[in-house]
Amino acid sequence: MSEVVLENLTKKFGSFVAIDNISLRIEPHEFFVLLGPSGSGKSTLLRLIAGLEQPTSGLIYIDGKVVNSLPPKERDIAMVFQNYALYPHFTVYDNIALPLKVRGQSKSQIDAKVRDVASMLHIEDLLQKKPGQLSGGQQQRVALARALVRDPKLFLLDEPLSNLDAKLRVEARAFLKELQERLGVTTIYVTHDQSEAMSMATRIAVLNKGKVMQIADPFSIYRRPANMFTAGFIGSPSMNFIEGALKKDGEWSFVAGGLRVELPGLSFSSERRAIMGFRPEHIRIADEGIEATVSLVEPMGSIIYLHLNLGGFEVIAQHAGERKIKEGDKVKVRLDPESLLFYDAESGDLVS
Amino acid sequence: MQLSRAQKIGLFFIIPLLAYFLIFFIYPLYLLFSYAFTGNGGLTLANFAKMASDPLLRVSLINTFYYYAGSAALQFGIGFLLAVVLNAYSGRLKGFFKGALFVPLTVSPVVIGLMWIIIFNPTYGPVDYILKALGIAKYSINWLGSTNLAMPTIIIANGWEYIPFVFLIIFAGLQTIPKQLYEAAEVDGMSHFQTFRYITLPLIRPIMLVAFLLNSIGILQGFALVYEVTSGGPGYSTYILSYYIYQVGFSFFNFRYAAALSILFLIIVGVFVFLVLKFTSVEKYLGLSDHEQV
Amino acid sequence: MNRFNLLLLVVLLIATAIALFPIYWMVITSLKVSSEIFSYPPVFIPLKITLNNYYAQGTYYGALSQTAVGSIPWVINSFIASIGASAIGTILIGAPAAYGLVRYIRNIWLSRLILFMMMIPESAFMLPYFLMISKAGWINTWWGLIAVYLSLTAPMSTWLLMGFFNDLPKSVEEAAQIDGLSTFNIFARISMPMAAPGIAVAFMINFMNIWNEMLYALVLTYSPFPSGAQTAPLFLTGFIVIEKSFAWGGLAAAGTFVLIPSLIVGLVAEKYLVKGWTLGAVKG
Ligand SMILES: Nc1ncnc2c1ncn2[C@@H]1O[C@H](COP(=O)(O)OP(=O)(O)OP(=O)(O)O)[C@@H](O)[C@H]1O
Ligand SMILES: [Mg+2]
Repeated sequence: MSEVVLENLTKKFGSFVAIDNISLRIEPHEFFVLLGPSGSGKSTLLRLIAGLEQPTSGLIYIDGKVVNSLPPKERDIAMVFQNYALYPHFTVYDNIALPLKVRGQSKSQIDAKVRDVASMLHIEDLLQKKPGQLSGGQQQRVALARALVRDPKLFLLDEPLSNLDAKLRVEARAFLKELQERLGVTTIYVTHDQSEAMSMATRIAVLNKGKVMQIADPFSIYRRPANMFTAGFIGSPSMNFIEGALKKDGEWSFVAGGLRVELPGLSFSSERRAIMGFRPEHIRIADEGIEATVSLVEPMGSIIYLHLNLGGFEVIAQHAGERKIKEGDKVKVRLDPESLLFYDAESGDLVS
Repeated sequence: MQLSRAQKIGLFFIIPLLAYFLIFFIYPLYLLFSYAFTGNGGLTLANFAKMASDPLLRVSLINTFYYYAGSAALQFGIGFLLAVVLNAYSGRLKGFFKGALFVPLTVSPVVIGLMWIIIFNPTYGPVDYILKALGIAKYSINWLGSTNLAMPTIIIANGWEYIPFVFLIIFAGLQTIPKQLYEAAEVDGMSHFQTFRYITLPLIRPIMLVAFLLNSIGILQGFALVYEVTSGGPGYSTYILSYYIYQVGFSFFNFRYAAALSILFLIIVGVFVFLVLKFTSVEKYLGLSDHEQV
Repeated sequence: MNRFNLLLLVVLLIATAIALFPIYWMVITSLKVSSEIFSYPPVFIPLKITLNNYYAQGTYYGALSQTAVGSIPWVINSFIASIGASAIGTILIGAPAAYGLVRYIRNIWLSRLILFMMMIPESAFMLPYFLMISKAGWINTWWGLIAVYLSLTAPMSTWLLMGFFNDLPKSVEEAAQIDGLSTFNIFARISMPMAAPGIAVAFMINFMNIWNEMLYALVLTYSPFPSGAQTAPLFLTGFIVIEKSFAWGGLAAAGTFVLIPSLIVGLVAEKYLVKGWTLGAVKG
């Protein structure tokens, strides 16, 4: 199974830079997710790897070989498109068989493989139908089958689940993940849905404006986002940010307006202007702590989001709901120093 | 010019069209010019000078203008009106009317000529009979034999075929206007006339322009009716430029002068199309000006 | 409101009557006996119906000829020219060109060029076409006629199909690229079948245009099948213009013959024609 390496990859459309000097390495067997907001260049990056677009500069290696000048069919990849891109005039059987047919495999070989992959994806009964007669979930399986039938070195998926309804999407997620683990094929998966990325990826690359913001496993991405962009993009509701300064006065503390957070046990290289970030689940209602006023109560079922005014800053706290709280209440909150993150006010990078 | 890879592949696909274009559009133009500008063993402008003193050309040009203006006014006016009427009409027969009003478009001009000869016959034709029965006409009318009426009769025949063309295009345009717009206008308290003036007309303007341009070109293409029904007569009353070119070329076999006349015709059509494109935004609606973004 | 609708209905009924009456009159003339054709007052609903006109004889270029049934050699040529020029213009020239323009070239001047080709008046080009076809020795042949008719069918198909190819999802072609099809195979085996409805529409519009065409046929052909390529419209004008024939029954029968194919094709394609005629300006 394959390894993919990108080296200083840049793609321009006219003067617009869609991919900006990206270098990264995708390990064999990995389920690698490209995550980013709309227009961040995810599809473009995938299409560059597929050979559907030509890079403006930089190199693409698959298994140690530069593939820049190879057409898609010689890269031994398979791809599933967002709209599935099934051939509407062929039956499901012929859709799956076509990649094998054009590679000159024998009829019996093709038939065996098609039936094999069809049973793996539970679409044996659909083989004689045309794509137009299938439901979204079925079409998606056919598209997977067409991609898998060739035993490709590399599996590229561009938002393959986004056309499914919510329930099917969760099912398909688990199915895909399980399938990938079983086959062990290196997979690059594009999505703008972070829960999809979190639940499937071995590693995630967060993209923004054609640049890689961070590459890490899902847990690290969530717990220690390397910069403000990733911190704000990952997690819903978003991480809370408060702009202020890190001060040393014996012990370190964070000061912003009338707010002062003691940071016992932490240390930093120098005093500086910084942004403090913490997730809603890391701010707790307590008997002792910082004073806050509840400005809005948002019940979400099992949990409640409290909008708090914390020394003049608006933040959101996640509350388990064992205590009744209503708008206008005054409460005390505690921030767990271990879970606080600090970003340099100038560069936006994590300070540690 | 350096071609990109994509352009090279594209070229491969358009080679048949480009080859055809060179042989059947550029070469004919070259032939026209080489015939029109030569004579008596050398280059000459004689064929064009001759135009100035050619009474038949004068008549043909006047008739062509008459024929064009009459046809355009009739076809556009009635076609537009019918489209608006059918659009406003609500009833089960709507689809039937659209289909029935389309039928004349499928009829060959040659067949229309035949129909007109039979229907407008002053003795046995039904048109005269109906006009007399309704008290509109007192005597038989010699439609195709009278210098005053031959051209109007040709214009009506041509209109019969192409009114549906304008009608269909504008009707299709009217159908694309979303119902909500009319509902919004009603809520805003617009009268029917105001709605038509401020909503309908601006929205179908592009399509009307397209219909006008294509319809005009179609009218200028006219030849078969004149050839078949009147042969340019009576007298020269239905001589139009296309028929005159045919006569000069294929009855008098004066190829050089016919070539010059063909160039004149191309210039007239060219200038007309140029003016329409220049002073309206029709090109945009044909998807031409923003084609690159398609 | 109801009275208004009634007024509209009356207008539409009158318009429909005018649109259909000439066809009705020609068809019943072809079915009337001679005494009812030439009678005053005219007979609006024939009492006697006969098919004789379809077999009746008239002179044609001095020779005796059956009118309607006699037109079959011309009709054969019409079919060959219409189908030939439409198929070649649509499948061999228009479809590849449209595909290349939409998918690879995207040049506004090439698109304008196609519009320009569609705007050339036939009468301005009949002379050079006649000279070219004479020189090639193709006068009165199918090849000569079809070659010239491509000047009508190829640009029209190209323009129409540009719209169709543009509406096809690009990702299907990319999937085919990844599946390993060659550029030409993607066009022939994926894009062409997907554009099949568009190709059918282009074919039908072209068929109608060529079926009804007379001017080029007039200068390029002079005798019917099997010796020549003269088409059905010229069969009619031959009787009317050359022979000054008054055999209305037979002429109407022949006219009905010529009418039927384009009427059928037209009615089948009616829904798509507007889009075709407006070159995509109206999304049908
Ligand atoms: N062929 C192209 N020509 C010009 N610009 C392009 C082209 N393809 C993509 N772009 C631009 O490049 C940027 C990145 O596009 P891309 O499709 O890769 O985004 P994405 O991250 O996949 O977004 P989405 O989540 O919406 O699919 C966008 O701003 C887009 O407009
Ligand atoms: Mg995308």
